[in-house]
Parts: sequence; C-alpha cells; structure tokens
Amino acid sequence: MHIDLKKELKQSNLGRTGMTILLLMIAVAILAPVLSQYDPTEQTAASLVSPSLSHWLGTNHVGQDIWSQLLYGARISLLVGFGVGTLSLILSIFFGLSSAIIGGLYGRVVMRVVDALIVIPMVIAVILVAAYIRPDVLVLIFLLSLLGWQSGARVIRAQALSLKESGHVKASATFGASRFYITRRHILPELTPILLVEFIYGVRRAVFIEAGLAFLGICDPMLISWGSMMRDAMRFTYLNVWQWWLVPAGIALSLTIIGLTFISHAAESVLDPRLRGEAVA
Amino acid sequence: MIKRQNLSSYIIALVLILALNFLLPRMMPGDPLMAIYGDEALIAMTPELKAHLVERFALDKPLWEQFGAYFLALFQGDMGYSYYYNAPVVKIILSSLPWTLLIVGSSLVISTFLGIVLGIESGWRRGSKTDRVMLTGLMSLNGFPDFFLGMVLLIIFGVIMGICPLAGALTPYSGLSGLPLVLDVLKHMALPVAALTLAHLAGSYLLTRNTMISVLKAPFMLTAQAKGLSQNALKYRHAGRNSMLPVVTMTGIWMGRVVVGALFVELVFAYPGVGQLTYQALLCRDYPIIQGVFLIVTISVLLANFAVDLLYPQIDPRVINAY
Repeated sequence: MHIDLKKELKQSNLGRTGMTILLLMIAVAILAPVLSQYDPTEQTAASLVSPSLSHWLGTNHVGQDIWSQLLYGARISLLVGFGVGTLSLILSIFFGLSSAIIGGLYGRVVMRVVDALIVIPMVIAVILVAAYIRPDVLVLIFLLSLLGWQSGARVIRAQALSLKESGHVKASATFGASRFYITRRHILPELTPILLVEFIYGVRRAVFIEAGLAFLGICDPMLISWGSMMRDAMRFTYLNVWQWWLVPAGIALSLTIIGLTFISHAAESVLDPRLRGEAVA
Repeated sequence: MIKRQNLSSYIIALVLILALNFLLPRMMPGDPLMAIYGDEALIAMTPELKAHLVERFALDKPLWEQFGAYFLALFQGDMGYSYYYNAPVVKIILSSLPWTLLIVGSSLVISTFLGIVLGIESGWRRGSKTDRVMLTGLMSLNGFPDFFLGMVLLIIFGVIMGICPLAGALTPYSGLSGLPLVLDVLKHMALPVAALTLAHLAGSYLLTRNTMISVLKAPFMLTAQAKGLSQNALKYRHAGRNSMLPVVTMTGIWMGRVVVGALFVELVFAYPGVGQLTYQALLCRDYPIIQGVFLIVTISVLLANFAVDLLYPQIDPRVINAY
C-alpha cells in the first residue's frame, strides 16, 4: 500500500477543511497571549459584563475576560488531545506490532486484553479513577492513554499480520533479516498512513473526553478549558449571557472535533479501497 | 455457539472491572474506610460501626482475604451503603436507573433506525448532492458533544420558545395519572432523547453507508437487478438488509457510549437518572455510589455485548464458518 496521504488529503474537500480548522486552532492556542490583552484567570472587570470593545465577549461570573478564556482554552484541549494521541499511539504500535510479530501465546493474551478493554466504556472508567485521584493535566493524559490504546492496537496488528505474509517481507527474512529489522525497515514504514489515522482518532477522543470531564468538574478546577467554561455558563442559562459565553465555548470545542473528524474521514476514504476516490469528490 | 476466545475476553473484562473497583479505594493513602465510604461517612461513624465495617470488609486482613469479602458481599447483591443518602447503594441506583434506561433505550432505538435508513438512502445515491450534504451534515453533527447539543436544545426550546420543560422527568406534585401522566413523561424526555439521538446518529449512519457502498458492488445485486426487481426491493430487501449487519455488531459498544452520553445530558436537563446521581456523588465524594454506578454500567454494557455476540450468528449465519 503506497499512498501519499498528504497529497490525497489536500485533494479532498473534507481533508482540506479539516486541516484548515485544525491549523486555525493550533494558531489560536499558540498566539493566545498576542490575541488577547487579559490574563484569563485574572479578574479584570465587574462580573457578567456584556460584550464591549474592551471585553469582546464580556466577562464571566467572577469578572474574567471570556475572550481570553476562549483562546487559552484551546491550549488545554490541544495539549490533552495531542498528548493522548501521541502516547496512546505509541502504546498501540508497541502492543499491535509485538503481538503480530512475536505471535504465539503472547500475541493471543494481548489480543484478549484488547478485546476486554474495548467493551469497557472508557469515560466511566476515567470518571471512577478521577473521582479518587483528581488528576492534573499530565495525569489525565496518562490516564486517557492507558485506557485508549486498544482499538489502535487491533488495527495495527491486523495490518502487520497481512504485511508479514507479503512477498518482500518473506524474501527479506530468507536473506537473514532479523524480526526487529523487518519490523523497522519493512513493516513500520508501510503502516504510516494507518498510524496517522489512529493518531487523529486518539486526539479526537481525548479532546472530547477532556471537555466532558471538565464539564463534570472532575479535573483541576483552576484549569480553564472549554468544558469548564460551559459548566460555569450552564448555571446562568436564565440570563442572556449564554450568547457570548456558552455558545462560543461550545462552538470552539465542536469545531475542533469536527475538523478532526473531517481529516480522519478523508484519510479513511483514501485508505479503504472500497471507499477510495469518493472523498475527492 | 459462542467462541471460547470471546468468552475469555469477557471474563478478563469482568476481572479488570472488579479489580479496579476493589483496588482503587484500598490503594489510596490514608484510612481505607474513608476512601471506601467517602467524607460523609465520617460524620455518621461511631466506634462500633467502624469496628463492624472493618470486620465486614476484612480490612485488617491481607489483601486477598479482603477481596474474598468484597466479592462475597457483591455476590449477595450488597454494593455498599451510602451515608449521604442513608440507604443501600443498590436501592438508590435502582430508583434512578429506570429514567436512564428510558432515555438511553429510546434514543438508541431512534438513532439506530434513523441512521440505518439515512445510511441506505445515502449509500444508494453515492456521490450525488444529497449524499454529500447528508455526509457532511451528519459528520459535523457528530462533532457536537451531546451535552452541548443538550444545552442548545434547552435554550432554544425551553428558554426562548418555552415549549418544553426546563428540568426533571415529571411535573412535581401534579398528581397526574393515566394518559396525562404519559404525555407529561414524554414531554420531559423529548429534549434529552433528541440531544442523545442527534449526537449518536452519525455512528450507525456512517457504518451503514460504508457497508452499503460495498454491498452495492456485490454480484448478487446484479442478479437481483437482472431479475427485474423494483428499486425499493433492491434498495431495502437486498442491499439494505445486508448493510445493517455491521450495525448490529456495534450496538453493544454504542450502548456504552449512549449511556455515558446520558450521564452528561441528564446533568443538563436535571433529569433524575444515573447521570444526575453520579454528578451529585462526585460533588460530595460519595464513593460507594460512584463505585456502584461504575459496576452496574460497565456490567450492563458487557452483557449487551455478550448478547450481541450470541445473537449475531442467528442474524448472519456466515460467521459460523468464518473462523
């Protein structure tokens, strides 16, 4: 499977839209201090002020600037998203490849554990653990990665198993290549497009769950994220503040997830031969 | 009929769930009794009660004996006692479970059915404008977290238009019965169910559509066409029925997602189900409730998956020979 994923993604409308949204969010996260003049945790005005020139989206119940909170919220979402995406991808690669290459009893045990983890609803397990340990950002990234690598491992294993049987890999084995060499030189490079898709899935799931946990108020309460903004805003739905408080936070979160969904669907259509060519439309 | 390897992964899942539930409070620093029972228990705690509880959980014994005591209690249907509500955990959860089942069940049925129909129609018209609009629209919808959809629906239909009630599952103290009562329940559940349905529609839609596209290329479709069957018979009886199969296998996993979604949506609508209960328990650190909810939810999802595994060969006999 030799696919130039980057080129194909650029050719698909969905892929382009998704990439644009994601790059925009990354830019917002990086440039947050430039784009806003207030510290998101500082009380800068009276509480629940309506939007004005000095406070574009007004202020929240403790007088913090909502526009700065919105910008800085992108940091937490993306940090957790990319952190979990990377870490769970590493775990998926490790368990997926090792179970395919080594096989035998080890491979079977890993796959049984994967099957078991897939049926346990991850969010509720995270809620249970988080209720006890009240995680900060780093612990949350670890926790979500530990509970989220299994479906990626299954996909990677399936691909690695079929690659293992292909001609060039067998040929390389007859020349005396070690299993490690074959994995590194022949199997891993071929998996790159799939790894990218799994990475995006991981990021998406983590952004989603982080927002949910912040919404429930399980994470560090001092942390400003879109989820915690929505949680605070929800208590004031009887006022009209939701227009510039609740809705922007929800839209920012949804837009990020939609962008990631578009990228993964475009990439998936490229990879799946049955669906191939349709995302280009 | 069930494969042995499947059974073993369910057993592993069950062991993982029980181990997490058992080990977590006992590994916390400090008094394990507090970690098991939460802050509220300390107020109610007398020395006699404490001694009784230590004995009940075998907390002064080695870990494996504690596990034995825990497992035995669980087996007898005892999930612990909530000092916040002053009632056994099982009783509290069972009283809020029906509400959650009501909204989860309704939205699961509606979203699966709607997703299949839309998926069949969309896959049938693959590449057309209708298909592209549906695909992009539903995928975007998929990006909205269920609790945000819930809040938007609440503001539009509850606050601005005032058609739907803002909170709860029943009008309190209304003394309704019979048909008015049913209508009242329906009116209260409309928005939560709508939020969950919208959030989970895309899953069954995308899966049906993708399968539909590959089923349409199958040789039997050509045969069916050659027989001169009508469009609708081709679309639904031949292609559609086969495109539904992967959706069935996913139902168990989706149920898990909808239940979790319900936890959040219930919070938005102050719906008196398990989600609301969990949220309250998180606020006051009522650990027995959180543990009980975790156990009941995960085990029901496990059972749902198991049931799907058992039923699947009946629906698609090809899988029996597939291994």
